[in-house]
Amino acid sequence: MITLALRRLFRAAFTFFVIVTLVFFATRMSGSPLDFIIGEGLSAEDRATLIRYYELDRPWWDQYRAFLGALFDGNFGLSFIERRPVSTMVAERLWPSAQLLLAATAVTLLLAIPLGVVAALWRNSWIGSAVMSVAFMGYAVPNFVLAVFLVLVFAFWLNWLPVVGNGTPWHFILPTVTLSAAMIAAIMRFTRNAMLDVLGQDYMRTARAKGLDEGRVVVKHGLRNAGITILSVVGLQIAALAASGSVVVETIFAWPGMGELLVNAAIRRDYPVLQFGVLTVALAVILINTCVDIAYTWADPRLRRSGARR
Amino acid sequence: MKHLLTATALVAALSGMAGAAELTVAAANVSSYLDPGKDHSNVGSQFYFNSFDPLIHKDYSKADPEWQPGLATEWTLIEPTVMELKLRPGVTFHNGEQMTADDVVFSLNRMFQATFPPYQVRMRDRLSNFDHAEKVDDHTVRIHVKREEPLFETLLNLQQTFIIPEDYTKALSGDPKVAEDSDYEAFAMAPVGTGPYRIAEFVPGQKIVWERFDGFWGEQAPLDRVNVIQVGEVASRLTALRTGEADIATNIAPDQLSTIEADPTLKVVGGATPLFHVMIMNQNHPKLQDARIRQALMLAIDRNLLNEALWLGKAVVPDSHTMEEFGPFYMPELKTFEYNPERAKELLAEAGYDGSEITFDTQGSYYTNGMLAAQAITEMWNAVGIKASIRDLPKWSGNDPEMMARNWSNPMYFNDPFGSFGVMWAPGGPSQSEGRFNTDETYAEIWDRFRFSKDIEARKAAYAELMDHMAKDPAVLPLYRPYESWAMRTDLNWAPKPGHIPYVLDFRAGSVALTN
Repeated sequence: MITLALRRLFRAAFTFFVIVTLVFFATRMSGSPLDFIIGEGLSAEDRATLIRYYELDRPWWDQYRAFLGALFDGNFGLSFIERRPVSTMVAERLWPSAQLLLAATAVTLLLAIPLGVVAALWRNSWIGSAVMSVAFMGYAVPNFVLAVFLVLVFAFWLNWLPVVGNGTPWHFILPTVTLSAAMIAAIMRFTRNAMLDVLGQDYMRTARAKGLDEGRVVVKHGLRNAGITILSVVGLQIAALAASGSVVVETIFAWPGMGELLVNAAIRRDYPVLQFGVLTVALAVILINTCVDIAYTWADPRLRRSGARR
Repeated sequence: MKHLLTATALVAALSGMAGAAELTVAAANVSSYLDPGKDHSNVGSQFYFNSFDPLIHKDYSKADPEWQPGLATEWTLIEPTVMELKLRPGVTFHNGEQMTADDVVFSLNRMFQATFPPYQVRMRDRLSNFDHAEKVDDHTVRIHVKREEPLFETLLNLQQTFIIPEDYTKALSGDPKVAEDSDYEAFAMAPVGTGPYRIAEFVPGQKIVWERFDGFWGEQAPLDRVNVIQVGEVASRLTALRTGEADIATNIAPDQLSTIEADPTLKVVGGATPLFHVMIMNQNHPKLQDARIRQALMLAIDRNLLNEALWLGKAVVPDSHTMEEFGPFYMPELKTFEYNPERAKELLAEAGYDGSEITFDTQGSYYTNGMLAAQAITEMWNAVGIKASIRDLPKWSGNDPEMMARNWSNPMYFNDPFGSFGVMWAPGGPSQSEGRFNTDETYAEIWDRFRFSKDIEARKAAYAELMDHMAKDPAVLPLYRPYESWAMRTDLNWAPKPGHIPYVLDFRAGSVALTN
């Protein structure tokens, strides 16, 4: 178990290194931040002055070495535009994004798994069909369309809910619904399929034959076995959401999160912010994946044993 | 939960009746820094006027300049190149410090003799004729210019010459007695001025909170508090107005206007922005060196059609690089640019246009309607026989020798043709130093008369000559002044003023009021 965890962590560290290197070079190939720092209309002399001041004339290997050094000393530099530490800027944005992610994950788990079980148990009735139809809609509608639709109905027309920022619990409702819709659809479908796989298994029949009530059979014998598949999908969905899923939603709901920060940094070529921001998101995704991997191993006795042997 | 927000808004309104006047602005963008010295962006311009003062104010309700005392109460030219200014006594900065002649000299010299690179940029493009400021006594300063300056008042009214506190700024980092680059960087995160509102909170790119500054030297601000929050998405800004989360929403697209007009609780104010969306052309591109080709590119563009199609006719198409906000220098009589596709075809034939492809660069959605305009312009070129295509680029290409034509904007940085055309098209200025615009001794001589003549008519005559030069050997075509609008509650009286640069959110006394 420990060997396996260490191997996973080593792989995570390697992935992390590849990501930060790619980000470092990709940002520098796409343009200069100068037009965004001071505004348009720079003379050649001004451009040269600013290039020196912002140290954009340092050779790339020197900048790369400083960037790698920052991984150890924690000094990731100042934003070109805001001229304050990028770590402060990311810290301001991380918690609002994490809050939204946690809210969406909680809503997803509370709804998707029970609905998936319902869709499996009543697969041949109208209940199962209805649940699956809703799931397909969740899949098919992109989150920016859903967001605008929700804003239109619940804020613009009905005037029930706020749309700007994260000031009160009410502000969480529309962005959380938007973000969790696709996740609910995905996890519900996987739960249904995983449950269908186990429902026909011999041990389920045995459990029923022992006289256990149906609820206990479904939860203890069915869901617990299906849970291994569900767990891996949940991990992937959360990681995908942490990586990129909330950019549009944060923009529409003026949510002061990481997505908006990274998009603006990319548009303005604010390399230090983009590098540290992507690095933070990559770290979060790797952590989520590693946790899921370890939990997966823990949940599946077969993997636990094979891991211990290796 | 139904009408939760309506109830909340009602409670807020009632508390407002008890005395607290508060506004919330949903802005498309909130600045990433607040330093009036280095900033000249359209985003930043929104925010400085409420918190800072110039030495010389003016009546901002008029395009023609009527100068008024600001932080200086009197000003006189004591020599052709020296202006003496008497400072207003009893002016307090937001941090409680009294304003002195030292603060004024420090603020001006940080620009006139700039060592901080971002200030050097602004010094070079508009303040290069200023030599230095000096203290005469605690209430008197003198400003020395290199050559006689016809725009003395205009340039002492600029955002870049607003006054900031010396001791406070120097103490922001490092040695508290020395002005270091890091002090100016820190100031931009914690700005302090003398205006009627102090900046109580600033979260870059997210929020600015103004609070009434009771120590203001002039008429007290009408609002206790103004919150500006960034709401990037236009539909969300409008919805925030409907839900009561905002009282004003900035940058409303023309296609949203009908939604506002259909709602009796909302209204919209707007007009043509003092800014040109322009097309620039590279005089030095091998395919465009013949001026007749560039003339044909301009003559082929039906700008009125662009206005009708893209701006619902609400933009303003100019006949020359001129606008009403130039005041006495507005010259509608100039007919520099026109639409004449037949003449364009003739010029192409005369120039022996070989059918080679001419590209129009644009940057995705950087300019409102920018991509649509690019598509329409290339179609108009095709219609006169020019093979045209669009290059959608992720970055500025004005300094790229391959650039043939592209979109750009020429804002009015101050109310004078020098503040718009002048900043961009001066000899040795950005356009020339990027290698796409040439000037010669003739142009420089005309330019000098335009910039430094003391007589208004002489300056206007020189400007007409510059426009004539631009028509014969074109490098820029003003397409239109884009329409810009602000949506707000119907009981709120606020509108942009013609004496301001674009986008200023002026909430000073006399500029904003609630009708009930």
